[in-house]
Amino acid sequence: MNGSGVSGFARIGPALPLGLAYLAFFVAPLFMLLAVSFFADDRLTVVGLDNWRKFLFDAFHWKVVADTLLLGLKAVFATVLLGLPLALVWRGASPFWQRVLLFVAVMPLLTSVVVRTFAWIVILGREGVVNQLVLGLGLSPEPLRLLQTEFGLVVSLTQIEMPLLLLPLLSVMARFDPNLLDASASLGASPWRTLFRVVVPLVAPGLAAGALLVFASATTAFISQSVIGGGRLVYLPALVWQQAMINANWPFAAVVAIVLLVSVSAVIAVIAYAGRVAGGHAHGTAA
Amino acid sequence: MDVDALTVRYGGFTALDAVSLTVAGGEVVALLGPSGCGKTTLLRTVAGFIRQASGSVRIDGAGIDDLPANRRRVGIVFQNYALFPHMSVADNVAYGLHARGEKGAHVNARVAELLEMVQLGALAKRRPAQLSGGQQQRVALARALAIEPSILLLDEPFAALDRSLRLDMQIEIKRLQRQLGLTAILVTHDQDEAMSVADRIAVMKRGRIEQLGTPVEVYDHPATPFVAGFIGTTNRLPCLAEAGGVALAAGARLALAHDQAPGSAGWLSVRPEQLMLTSEATPDAWAVTPALAVPLGALTVREVRCADGTLLRLTEPRRGAIRDPAGPIFCRLVPGAQPSLFSANEEE
Amino acid sequence: MSFTIGRRAALMGAAALGVARPALAAGSVTAAIYPGAWEEAFREHVAPVLKRQHGIDLEMQGLFAVDQVAKFAASRGAPPFDCFVLDPGPRITAIERGQFERFDANRLANKAQLPDGMADEWGVATGAQVVGIAYNPKKLPRPTGWDDLLKDPWVSKLGLTGFGTTFGTVSLIELAKAFGGSETNVEPVFTELKKVLGKIAAVGAPAAMPGLFQQGQCDIMYTNTQTVTTLKDRGVDIEFVAPRTGAVSFITTLHIAKGSPAVDNAYKYIDAAISQPVQKALSEAPYFFVPVNKGVALNASLPMRSLDEMSRFVTHDWAKINPLRAGWIDRFNREMAK
Repeated sequence: MNGSGVSGFARIGPALPLGLAYLAFFVAPLFMLLAVSFFADDRLTVVGLDNWRKFLFDAFHWKVVADTLLLGLKAVFATVLLGLPLALVWRGASPFWQRVLLFVAVMPLLTSVVVRTFAWIVILGREGVVNQLVLGLGLSPEPLRLLQTEFGLVVSLTQIEMPLLLLPLLSVMARFDPNLLDASASLGASPWRTLFRVVVPLVAPGLAAGALLVFASATTAFISQSVIGGGRLVYLPALVWQQAMINANWPFAAVVAIVLLVSVSAVIAVIAYAGRVAGGHAHGTAA
Repeated sequence: MDVDALTVRYGGFTALDAVSLTVAGGEVVALLGPSGCGKTTLLRTVAGFIRQASGSVRIDGAGIDDLPANRRRVGIVFQNYALFPHMSVADNVAYGLHARGEKGAHVNARVAELLEMVQLGALAKRRPAQLSGGQQQRVALARALAIEPSILLLDEPFAALDRSLRLDMQIEIKRLQRQLGLTAILVTHDQDEAMSVADRIAVMKRGRIEQLGTPVEVYDHPATPFVAGFIGTTNRLPCLAEAGGVALAAGARLALAHDQAPGSAGWLSVRPEQLMLTSEATPDAWAVTPALAVPLGALTVREVRCADGTLLRLTEPRRGAIRDPAGPIFCRLVPGAQPSLFSANEEE
Repeated sequence: MSFTIGRRAALMGAAALGVARPALAAGSVTAAIYPGAWEEAFREHVAPVLKRQHGIDLEMQGLFAVDQVAKFAASRGAPPFDCFVLDPGPRITAIERGQFERFDANRLANKAQLPDGMADEWGVATGAQVVGIAYNPKKLPRPTGWDDLLKDPWVSKLGLTGFGTTFGTVSLIELAKAFGGSETNVEPVFTELKKVLGKIAAVGAPAAMPGLFQQGQCDIMYTNTQTVTTLKDRGVDIEFVAPRTGAVSFITTLHIAKGSPAVDNAYKYIDAAISQPVQKALSEAPYFFVPVNKGVALNASLPMRSLDEMSRFVTHDWAKINPLRAGWIDRFNREMAK
C-alpha cells in the first residue's frame, strides 16, 4: 500500500460508517425501486415497460406531476414572501426578541406534522376560526371554502414548512450587517432596490437552501396534501400511496415514486443553481 | 444645516434632549462625548434612520424631517464602513449613482474620478474584503461623496483603524473636505481626532450639548466641569472665591476674573501646561513637594503634592536629564493663564 | 418481451429488505397486525392473556394488509410471521396465492361464542365493521337511503371518500346499486357524482373524515359504527343510520400463515383474540370495535340487538371486487380531480 492510499483512507475513514449506511439504506433501496419499476405485473413475475408506458402516455399523470411541482413552488413563494421580511425583522431585533422569534419560528418543528395538519382543519374549516371571523365581521354571507382548496393547502404548508426556510436563512442573516441597509438608504436607494440589490444577493445561499428544503418537503407532504387538500387535489405522493398500499401495484408505485424523485430533484437542482449563482456572485472573489 | 430643539426618546429614555446646532457650509463640526451621550443618535436622526419626537432638521433652509433616509442626500461613512461585500470597489462607488437612475459612461467616468481622488484607481475591480482598513475607508468615503451629498456624516470613522494609520486618514479627510468645500459632522469619542479634524467641537453629555466652540476655546475655556474633565487633562484646585480672584486651599492668592459670588467655595480647572514650578516664594505661588517625574518625549510630566494634600500634574519642557529641583519649591500659574473657576456645587 | 428471471430477488429485496426472523422461542407466536389502534389494542389486551393462560409471548409486526401479503410472498418457505390480520379484499388475494394454512375452527375453545358466519376453512373473524350513513341530527333531517346522499339537503353537506378503504369501497358500491349499478358496476356513481360534484362539501382522505365531521366541514358521510361511536364519545352530534337497503357488514379476519412452525401457538393466539374478556375490552373506549363474541354486550349505537343479525346485513364478494378496484381508484382520481 502506498503512502497516498494511507492518507486517503485517513481522510475518508471517519466517514466510512455513515457512507456504508448510506449505501445500504439509501442507495441500494433506490436501485431496488428502479428495478421494481421495470416489472409489468403486480406480482413481479414479468419484466416489461408496461407501467412506465402507462404513466408516461397519460395526460392525467402529467397534470398530477405539474400540480405537484406547482404546489411546491407556491409553497416556496409563500414561505419566502413571509419568511424574508420575518428574517429581516429578526435581524433588527434585540437579543431577547431574537430568541422569542426564533422559538416561535421553530415551534412548528416541535409538534408532529399530524397535529399541525389537523390544527389547520380547525382553523380553515367551515366552522373554523377564520370563517367565524369572516362571518362575525360580515365579510361574507356564508362560510368561505378554505379547506380542500389549493389556497388553503398552500396557506397551511406555508406555516408547516416555514421553519425549514427560516433555519438556514437566519443562520445566514445572522452574519448580515444591518448597517448595509442604512448605507443603501443613505445612498438614495429605495427599500426595493435595497432588498433586491443588497439583501437578497447577500442572503441568497441561505434563501436557496431554505427554499429547496421547503420545496422538497411541500411536494412530498403526503399527510397535509391528503388531509387539507382532500380527494379532489391529486398529487404524486397520494398516487404512490394508492398504488403501493391499496392496489398493491408496486411496479406502478415505483414508477410514480421515481417520477416524483426525478421531477422534484430537477427543480431542486435549479433552485440550488440559482442560489449558487447569486451566492457565488455575492461571495466569490474577483479575478 | 440647522438642528432645532431636536428631541429623541427610546421608550422612557431621552437620548437627545432639545439639541440645537448650526453647522455652516464648508464647516466640520465634531460631536464629542462618551458613549451614550447622544452623539450617534443625533447623527442617525439627521441621516433619517431615527425619527425624532420633536424638533426639526433643516438643510440649506429646507426641512427634511418628513423625507425618508433615501431622499435626504446625506452622505455617511460608517464606523465599519458598511461596504457592500458582494460588489467590487467600483460598483460600491457607483451604487448611489445607479440608485439615482444614472447610467452608462457617465457613471463610469464619475466612479473613476472619485477613485482617483481617494487614490484607489488601481483597485477598482477588487472586492472590499481584499482591501486594507484604510483602503476600505477611502472606498466608503468615495461612495458617500459620489451622490454629492449636501452634508457628510462621519460615524467614528477612524475607530477601526490602526493608530499609525489614523492620523494619515484624518489628514486625508481634512484635505478632501477643504478641497471640496464639504460640510461635515464627525462623531467621535476621541478628543484628539475631534481637535485635529473639526473646525468646531460640540461636547455632548446625556443628550445635551455641553459646549460648542473651536477646539482652542473648548480646551482653554471649558464651559462646564464635564468639558474640563473630558477634554484633555485637568487639575482640580480647591479654593474660595474672592472679589477679583481666588484663595487656594493650597495657600496662595490668585488674581482672576470670574463670576462666582465672593466667599463661595469652588475649584479651579488648571491644565498641566498652565502650571510651572519656581523656587521663588511669591503670594501667587504655593509650596509643593515633588512626587514623581516622567519624561514624555519633549516634555517632562511631574506630579507634585500641595500642602493640603492635593496632587497636581504639570508639564514643562524637558532639556536633558530630569533633575528634582533642590531646596523648597513652589508652584504657580504660567503668566497669562486664565483657568476656569467652577462652583463646588456644580456637578461634573 | 417478457421473461421471468430475477423475479425472486427483486421480490425479496423490495418486500422485506431481507431481515430474517429470529429463531422462534418455544413459547412464542409472531402475528402481523395493523399499525396504530390494532397494534395498541392487541398489545394491551391480547398479549397479557396469552402470556398468563399459556405462557406464550406474543411478538407483533406492524404491517398493513398489502405489506403482509407482499412480505409473505417474498419469504418463500420461511413465513415472516405466523398469523395474518386482513380485511376481505386482501384476504381473497392471500387465499388465491395460497398463503394460508387450512383453518379448523373446532380447535378454538371459544368457537361456541362466535356468531354465525364468522369462521370458515381459512380463518376466523376477530372484529367486524358495520357500515352505513352517519349524519349530524342537529343540522340535517334523517336520511333513509344511500341515494339521499346525493340529494338536497344532504348533498351540500356530504363528505365523500373514495375506494381507498374497505368501508369506502362497499359504501360506493351500495350507492351505485341505489342508482342501478351492482357489485361489479359502479359506473352510476361516477355519473351521479359528476352532476353534484360542485355541491359536495368535502372529498377527503379516509383518515381525515372524522376530523372534518367534527369541525362541521361536512355533516353527513358514510362510515363505520366504530367512527360514529368514537365521535359520539367525544361529544360530537352524530347518529348512525342503517339505510333502507340495509347496513353493510364485513369482517376483519385472522389467518395462520402457510408453513408456520408454531401452528398450535397460533390457534391459542387466535382463541385469545376472540375470547369474551378481550372482545369486551376491544368493544369499549377507545377502540369501539364491533365484537365477534356473543358474550359481549353491544354498544347502543349499533343498528342491531344481537350479533347474529349481522348475517342479514349486506355483504360483498371481494373475489369479484378485487380485480376491478384498482381501476375504480384510478377513475375516482380522474373524476374528482379539479
